[in-house]
Amino acid sequence: MSEKQSLEVLDFNARSSAAASAVKHYGEALLEAAKRDERIVCLTADLTLPTETDLFRDGIPERFHQVGIAEANMIGIAGGMARGGEIPFVHSFCVFATRRCYDQVAMQIAYPRANVKVVGVIPGLTTLLGVSHQAIDDMALMRALPNMVVIEPSGPAQVRAAVAAIAAYDGPVYLRLKRADGAEKAAEAASDFKIGEMRVLRWGTGGLIVACGMMVDIACDAADRLAGVGVDVTVVDMATIKPLDPALVDLARKMPLIVTAENHSIIGGLGSAVAELLMENDVHVKFRRVGVRDTFAEGGTTSYLFEKYGLSAGALAATVREAAKSAAS
Amino acid sequence: MTSAITRERQPAPRIRDALELVRIARSLRRDTINLVAPTGQGYVQQGLGAADLFAVLYFAELRLDPSDPHWTDRDRFLLSTAHNTAIFYATLAARGMVDAAAVADYCKDGSVFEVNASERIGTPVEATLGSLGQGLSVGIGMALTARRRGSSARIYVLLGDGELQEGQLWEAALFAGSAGLSNLCLIVDDNRMQVEGHIDKVVSVAPIAEKFSAFGWVAEEIDGHDILALLAALDRARERDKPTCLVAATLAGKGVPSLEGILAHNLKLPPDVAAEALAALGDAEEAK
Repeated sequence: MSEKQSLEVLDFNARSSAAASAVKHYGEALLEAAKRDERIVCLTADLTLPTETDLFRDGIPERFHQVGIAEANMIGIAGGMARGGEIPFVHSFCVFATRRCYDQVAMQIAYPRANVKVVGVIPGLTTLLGVSHQAIDDMALMRALPNMVVIEPSGPAQVRAAVAAIAAYDGPVYLRLKRADGAEKAAEAASDFKIGEMRVLRWGTGGLIVACGMMVDIACDAADRLAGVGVDVTVVDMATIKPLDPALVDLARKMPLIVTAENHSIIGGLGSAVAELLMENDVHVKFRRVGVRDTFAEGGTTSYLFEKYGLSAGALAATVREAAKSAAS
Repeated sequence: MTSAITRERQPAPRIRDALELVRIARSLRRDTINLVAPTGQGYVQQGLGAADLFAVLYFAELRLDPSDPHWTDRDRFLLSTAHNTAIFYATLAARGMVDAAAVADYCKDGSVFEVNASERIGTPVEATLGSLGQGLSVGIGMALTARRRGSSARIYVLLGDGELQEGQLWEAALFAGSAGLSNLCLIVDDNRMQVEGHIDKVVSVAPIAEKFSAFGWVAEEIDGHDILALLAALDRARERDKPTCLVAATLAGKGVPSLEGILAHNLKLPPDVAAEALAALGDAEEAK
């Protein structure tokens, strides 16, 4: 690859030297799964490198399909393949894998309970590109589809475990991924990942933070800050947004307040799912949602956007403290 | 590559007698009227228009085994215009692939035989279409799977000319041509009709064959009521190394003089018209 080509690829696909050298946790896990199960096929819509499927392309070329910039067609093709016994993993950015082809996902994957895994990268406010590439409603859309499982792992180990789990699961899944860029904290032990089971990462009686995806690390940061001012909170990693773990109900009953945290609109995603579960189980508790507050955002660095739109550890900790004061009054 | 694979069994009756296929088509037209008449629901004009296509596909072309509906190497048929079910269900029943008595509950509450065919029915409905424009993409997925697995299955997709206004269809056409899917055959039911009337008064899709040719297919224009022409075109399609698009010109309401040429997407069928239609189709039978 010439130096000029290399620069072009970095600009669009990686954007930082750290990312360029980051381990392709998803791509490696998919290739491993496909080596175990010859029914697994891989489809991508002109986004091979950004979805780490270059490893699959080079490792198992006969099961790799480049469909071009045509997401609706890709979903239909996957539906046809699944009906013939294949297990297609389809890849794009989160926005284009969901909103762009929603009807196709509904009819060719969700309704027939096709064994297709829809995998999106670039969740929420994690792109310089701007509003066209920001997926702030993808979890809401996928959650609304009957039969669809929705998973957002929180880190590399969980990404790997989730890929193995969904490959073994017979049915449609939406997997929402933030690619590793090398800046991750040491991964939590996630080898016990099971679809539909929450993980309690730390205990405290001062409140409960329920988070998914990138917000799990941020929730742990917030918990550290709160501990510094004498508030010990429980942090739950709710990697499966649908079906939501009903064990949350009993945990919630022990808590004075609950705050959900998601890199997504507060409408229709994790916060909505938790609220629905708790209300229908008569858990009446102080409740707040941290996420994108019913607005479109703009392009920018993740740290800038998370600060601006209230997804930072500081904002999350402040929300817990505000709720605690409200609870006490 | 697919054409080189020997089919291990050919359970279809493979009727090549054109007169027999004409009789079958007429019988399917009568069944179509009989399915729609009780409730007035269902698509009459499209069903009558496509009856010859269904007769040729299901009684001459498709390799199917009604006693083994899940046979891996069966040919797949996808009705992308999934609302055109009166003729579809009539054909499945005549072919012994669904229970004729159950089909008689067409469009009635609680019946799986809904206006739009869904996979609730089981394998004879290979995919749930009807959200227009999706059938060809699903067919491509099936064609790719058959190719990878060395299956002799061929994939047939029937869609309407109006459906060509859907953008996804052209994504799929581009891909199938690019991938050289020789085991894929698209039949366009070119009846010039859509909800709003004549297609040229809405958005013209002509010339269809030229468009598909430009997308890397072999496209042929044929008379959708000419049984011999259909048989020959399907024979040619099996021998190619490219996907085939048959643009089959059909006449809405074909076979019932009082209905022929009426471009009514949602034609309601009053009892007196149904009786007249059955008489016309019966008379035609006797005339033979």
